Amino acid sequence: MNRGEKSKSISETQGTRIVEAYVGEYASGKSENAVNRALFLAQQGRKVVLVDLDMVEPCYTLRPLKDPLSQLGIEVIAWETKQLIGLGETGMILHPKVPRVLDRPGDIILDIGYGAGGARILNLVNGALTSPELCVLVVINVARPFTSTVEDIVEYIQGIGTVHALINNSHLGDDTDLDIIQLGVRLVTEAARKIGLPVEATVVEEKWQKEIGPVDCMGNPVRTIKRYMVDSFW
Amino acid sequence: MASVIEGEKKVFMTGNEVAAWAALAAGADIMFGYPITPQNEVMHYWTRLAPRYGRKFLQTEDEISAGFTTCGGLQAGCKAFTATAGPGNVLMQEPYGMAEAMRLPLLAIIQQRGGPSSGTVVYSQQEVTLTTYGGNGEGHRIVYSTASHQEIYDYVIKGFNVAWKYRFPTFVMGDGYQAKMRESMVMYDPAARGIELVPANPIIGLSGEIGVDRECVHLCNIYSLEEELYEVLQKMEADYQKMTPEVVEYDARFCEDAEIIVVSHGVVSRAGQDAVKILRAQGFPAGYFRPITLRPFPQEALRKAVENCKKVLVVESALNQLQRLVKENLYDVALEVDALAKPAVGIIADEIVARYKEFRK
Repeated sequence: MNRGEKSKSISETQGTRIVEAYVGEYASGKSENAVNRALFLAQQGRKVVLVDLDMVEPCYTLRPLKDPLSQLGIEVIAWETKQLIGLGETGMILHPKVPRVLDRPGDIILDIGYGAGGARILNLVNGALTSPELCVLVVINVARPFTSTVEDIVEYIQGIGTVHALINNSHLGDDTDLDIIQLGVRLVTEAARKIGLPVEATVVEEKWQKEIGPVDCMGNPVRTIKRYMVDSFW
Repeated sequence: MASVIEGEKKVFMTGNEVAAWAALAAGADIMFGYPITPQNEVMHYWTRLAPRYGRKFLQTEDEISAGFTTCGGLQAGCKAFTATAGPGNVLMQEPYGMAEAMRLPLLAIIQQRGGPSSGTVVYSQQEVTLTTYGGNGEGHRIVYSTASHQEIYDYVIKGFNVAWKYRFPTFVMGDGYQAKMRESMVMYDPAARGIELVPANPIIGLSGEIGVDRECVHLCNIYSLEEELYEVLQKMEADYQKMTPEVVEYDARFCEDAEIIVVSHGVVSRAGQDAVKILRAQGFPAGYFRPITLRPFPQEALRKAVENCKKVLVVESALNQLQRLVKENLYDVALEVDALAKPAVGIIADEIVARYKEFRK
């Protein structure tokens, strides 16, 4: 089942819950999209659990945002540095709340780390790989060399395993311009069509909303985000 | 060799990935390495790139082995390189010493982490002394300190060329922040910018009869007599001094009328430059000096920069490692030297501005 066959909008999911995993290359925008999605859902009055599944450097992405996100009503499952000795190279311990996280009530947003294993880490979450609720969303930034052409995106997606939809999150950080966003729209849409997957959305910072509009030039919905990860460590 | 990058390409990457792409663009044949944070993604990314472009990779059992296999690859005529950090940089000093003794064009990417020992995996500028003067026996090496992803790309390409041209081991030194942070930069085909890549030639196992077609190649790192070693070291020193004006690099701004010059290197120099701009905007005559090569150190340029100033403020994420270099190179110049030294911690412009104002009182 791909994302197109699953319920897509919030209005359609009232009464059901959302379980999403955000996967992608280094610097594609996985955590940014996961955080924004969790906040969006929480703002709808939904209970949201945000899970840091980065097993290489678990303390660097969501940890610094743990308190502010918690204050906004999101339950964040992420290690504190003081709970661990060293990082990554000293071996990593799965947070004890992670294996059974799908048993928790509410929406579950999984931020999958960029480690070499990538999405395969989902096998550590009980029931994730067989869950009918789980949507695996691949965040694509075409400014990343390994996902900068249609062929590369297709090859990358096919190496991930189960994927339900693509997110076009093409950007250059502070140097983002309309050209890179539009290039992303075209390349990601074409790649998605080749694989037979939907594009969940084109994601842009709020400042681009007016110029892009509610739907991008290939007909994909546009979501706006705020950048929270600039306050994170790296 | 076909171009890795067609023309130019603006991308968004981590510094470690940039280093791997730069090695590829520079024509590196093989990487030898052993994992250590914060350089892991240099290896990780290289292992993704290498099969696509017909390059090679070997993970060894430790850093000592990674360094020596790099030396072996170089002797065989491969553009070999390695990357390491912290305690790995300590272990690699012995193979670096062999590269110094044998004049092997070794290229190492160093991403500094906090110490002593395993310290933190995060960040520091505490490997300056180790990287510039870490070997035993006063060997010669070239050390670049980068400040941005663009520079990592530029100086890895340049580093390979310099190493193969002058035959001194060359280091491109970043830090955990540069390694991990994301930044946009432009990747380019060196040829498209007129950069000619110095070819790698086999150093041993050459064709032809020794004594007839060619001289014997004698790579040596152990000598029987003191005088024999002395003679070799004299030649190395002479070669290094001759090379220095061609290799030394720095960035100096606003120094002509400066009362205090802020001296910093690497990623901290970004804060240094911001601080000087802030101070200038507030009416303080601040100057900025950044050594890009920490070895050879831009002695002449720094001495010229401080000609009209009274004080120097050395800023670094270490306990006075840059300051030692500065003082050594400014010996006999009547100057007051102060420091903002924060070992293993990042430094922002506001802190430098505050320290500057305190120092000028």
